[in-house]
Amino acid sequence: MECKFVHSVCSYCGTGCGILFQVVDGRLIGTLPMKTHPVNKGKLCIKGWNLHEHVNSELRLKNPLIKTFGRFSRVNWDTATRYTADRLQEIIKKHGPDSVGVLVSAKATNEENYLAQKFARAVIGTNNVDHCARL
Amino acid sequence: MQDTVKTWLTEGTVDIFLGYKMVEGHPIPHGFNRDRLDEIDEMVTGPARYPLEKFATQLLQMHPDAKIGILARDCTKRALNVLTIWQQISPGQIQTLQVNCCPSPLGSNTDCSYLQPADTGAYKAAHGVDGSQSLQALEQMPEEERFDRWMYEFQKCIKCYGCRNVCPMCFCRECSLENKDLVGNGHLPPDIPIFHLVRAVHMAGRCIDCGLCEQACPAEIPLRMLYRKINDMMGNLFDYHTGSSPDQPPFSLLGDKPSTGLAPMTAEAAKNE
Repeated sequence: MECKFVHSVCSYCGTGCGILFQVVDGRLIGTLPMKTHPVNKGKLCIKGWNLHEHVNSELRLKNPLIKTFGRFSRVNWDTATRYTADRLQEIIKKHGPDSVGVLVSAKATNEENYLAQKFARAVIGTNNVDHCARL
Repeated sequence: MQDTVKTWLTEGTVDIFLGYKMVEGHPIPHGFNRDRLDEIDEMVTGPARYPLEKFATQLLQMHPDAKIGILARDCTKRALNVLTIWQQISPGQIQTLQVNCCPSPLGSNTDCSYLQPADTGAYKAAHGVDGSQSLQALEQMPEEERFDRWMYEFQKCIKCYGCRNVCPMCFCRECSLENKDLVGNGHLPPDIPIFHLVRAVHMAGRCIDCGLCEQACPAEIPLRMLYRKINDMMGNLFDYHTGSSPDQPPFSLLGDKPSTGLAPMTAEAAKNE
């Protein structure tokens, strides 16, 4: 019998509340606010309290899907990356780099957001970078 | 203390011990077991408090024969009493290791200041309910003013359900707070005061005054004060003292055979009602 609590940061918004995942026998069964975390001090909103539910949800998307002829088909990550790269190159060649925009997210980490803007500016060659929190 | 836990685990007194472990400077709850005895050296008793008795109840639902050790403050002991009364745990399945405690009118050892209420700001003092004052002081205010102050507190609710989620006494499979006939979906603030009063009524004879709900409340609603009033009424009307009375509270009985002796209503209590 195993019961442990894994500390993490809530992935729902950019606030960064400290949370504890309750893991019993290797299965995630609950989320708790972290009492000593400087951001949320033991409090959470309703989304944070239910964070564990989407991890175990049957509706969770675990593989990339490509839509062909109006239908989604499951593919592996290599195929998905290759397909995305080919399509991006095609669009950039035809319409120029400014025809592409990159939208980053408060739910991603600082490092991931940095990489995304680097990708937009250095790889694609556009300044069309924006963020969901800049509404 | 660490030695006691090691002995309990190696001798088989308990299968798992629920306490706290220091992880990167944060005391977080942890289930110590005999496969990882070295972890016990990192065990701490606080200062953060989590509903360990709730975790124990959940573990027993998954492993009905398990023996669980638990780090216990006074509120934990009251919680375990009430959970036993409500048949959520069986007596003898849980071993407690007593540690120092926090202040509550229901408890006796009060040498930890962790639950001392935070300073009340000027606006809350003027318009809301100051959780640091006593129940008696609050009740000296005129009824209408008290109602207004409580409504001010309730309308701050963001309906996170944190009070229910963290509560060691909230073990029901179906929760009235999720019944759409009582609490409508998709409204903020939730239907007040019904949302808070439904919970308050259900806390009658159950709330063990641990204060975890109030600590979890992002809107800082003085829930502890609300449930103290409920427990106060249980004491005055039914002579029922949550956590120490050995039977289920009289509300849970159907029919006319109460197992708890009904105390005669005192003149003072009658006047308050």
